[in-house]
Amino acid sequence: MTGPGTALRVELLAWRRSTVQRLATPLLVLLVPAAAVGLTTLARSGALVGAGAAKLAEYATGDLATTHVTAAGQVLAVATLMAGGFAVAATFGQPLADGRAGAYFGLATPRWTVAWARCLVVLGWAAACTVAAVALTVALSAAVSPDGLGAEAWAAAGRALAAGLLGAGLAMPFAAVATATRSPLATVGALIGIVALTQMVVLVGGGAWFPYAVPSLWTGTGGADAAAGIGTGGLLLTAAVAPAGIAVVVQQWRRLTDV
Amino acid sequence: MNPLTLDHLHHRFGDRPALAGLSLAVAPGEVVAMVGLNGAGKTTALRVLVGRLRPASGTARVLGADPSRMRPTTAHRFGHVVGVGLVSPDLTVSENVRTAALLHGVPRAEVADAGAVVVHRLDLDAWADARARTLSAGNAQRLGIACAVVHGPSVLVLDEPTSALDPRGVVLVRELVRSLADDGAAVLVSSHHLDEVARVADRVVVVHGGRSVGELAPGPEMERRFFARVLEADVAALEASAGSAA
Repeated sequence: MTGPGTALRVELLAWRRSTVQRLATPLLVLLVPAAAVGLTTLARSGALVGAGAAKLAEYATGDLATTHVTAAGQVLAVATLMAGGFAVAATFGQPLADGRAGAYFGLATPRWTVAWARCLVVLGWAAACTVAAVALTVALSAAVSPDGLGAEAWAAAGRALAAGLLGAGLAMPFAAVATATRSPLATVGALIGIVALTQMVVLVGGGAWFPYAVPSLWTGTGGADAAAGIGTGGLLLTAAVAPAGIAVVVQQWRRLTDV
Repeated sequence: MNPLTLDHLHHRFGDRPALAGLSLAVAPGEVVAMVGLNGAGKTTALRVLVGRLRPASGTARVLGADPSRMRPTTAHRFGHVVGVGLVSPDLTVSENVRTAALLHGVPRAEVADAGAVVVHRLDLDAWADARARTLSAGNAQRLGIACAVVHGPSVLVLDEPTSALDPRGVVLVRELVRSLADDGAAVLVSSHHLDEVARVADRVVVVHGGRSVGELAPGPEMERRFFARVLEADVAALEASAGSAA
């Protein structure tokens, strides 16, 4: 067995055993639901006053279950990008920085197939974490919401799921950054840079068409009006970032030299 | 056709020439050792041979193929350790050799057996379930070699394969290299250990200033003969540059 199947099998094992995965998985799966339910509870407790209360005003009213799941989607939209970005910084940048990437030359399973599989494994892992985080949020919400989950809450759950997946896909270009810079730290720097750039783009009103702003805005982080401004075009453009990023990485690894 | 050939390789890193017309070939069943001072161009040549570096000019061939664009059927017969081996620090020794076997194209049904054989052969049984990151430098080096030979390659390239090994490890690797060559593999090794080279190699090529400056017959007084050859090459180069200046 050579090729994609082998590469996926090998990369899956490597990712299951990696320290980054062991740290990031519980953070994504447990922290997101805890944050969503906790922040909503805090907003509705009356304990918050001033700037804190203003920040969480959106969580203080409306259907409880819908608020829980919406909050989870807002956190996931950024968390999956950050987790996926750290994952590709580690899996692509570190082997290039420490010289292990050289061992992927001259193999029956080509190095670009390994790179492709590595992207898919990170993407699949982030998707699985998203599903688990949303499912746990729904379960927690169902346990504490007196009326259970209505249609609006289920719709918000679907949007949270999609936002998490889009956020994970947005991490794929950072595999290309890691390959180009050959440095995990430079990749993390670029990740922080794109988050700062996104803030600026949103401030000047370009968020609806800027892929790195779309998932957050779509889940309501910028308010109901900004969420309504996200159209199908913006969502499709955002979804296209992952395959484009993977295609670039595969090409980079095909042409890789001086390793 | 020789399974391993380097033909008039030239390459520079900035202003510094790394390869200046290096040529050599390794025949089936032959162990060739490249010896040279630090910066002579040995590792650069091996990186070209593995496909990790495209030379400015000249050609490298592994089983007749350009190493930077090797087909899976050719790569399946090739093994190498140049610098860090095909080892993931998060995986155990067993997992690493099985993973390497898969990536080298060993059929899944044969992976466990192939892995167990090579772990035993390099005396890594006691560490089979240990994570690679916990290994000593010597055991890590043996694991890298195990991952490079788990598929029984017919062409093998090793850069300083015994640099971190204890005397027992040196013997294990020497026996492994010799037995692969006896089975018909072409093996190219770079080393600083002239005594070790004398024991394992059929031919010893002296690399100096990015090119081959002659061969040494394996045997006694390798160190003296090595330095004599290097000095001879330096004197010849000085005379050539003085001649061209005049």
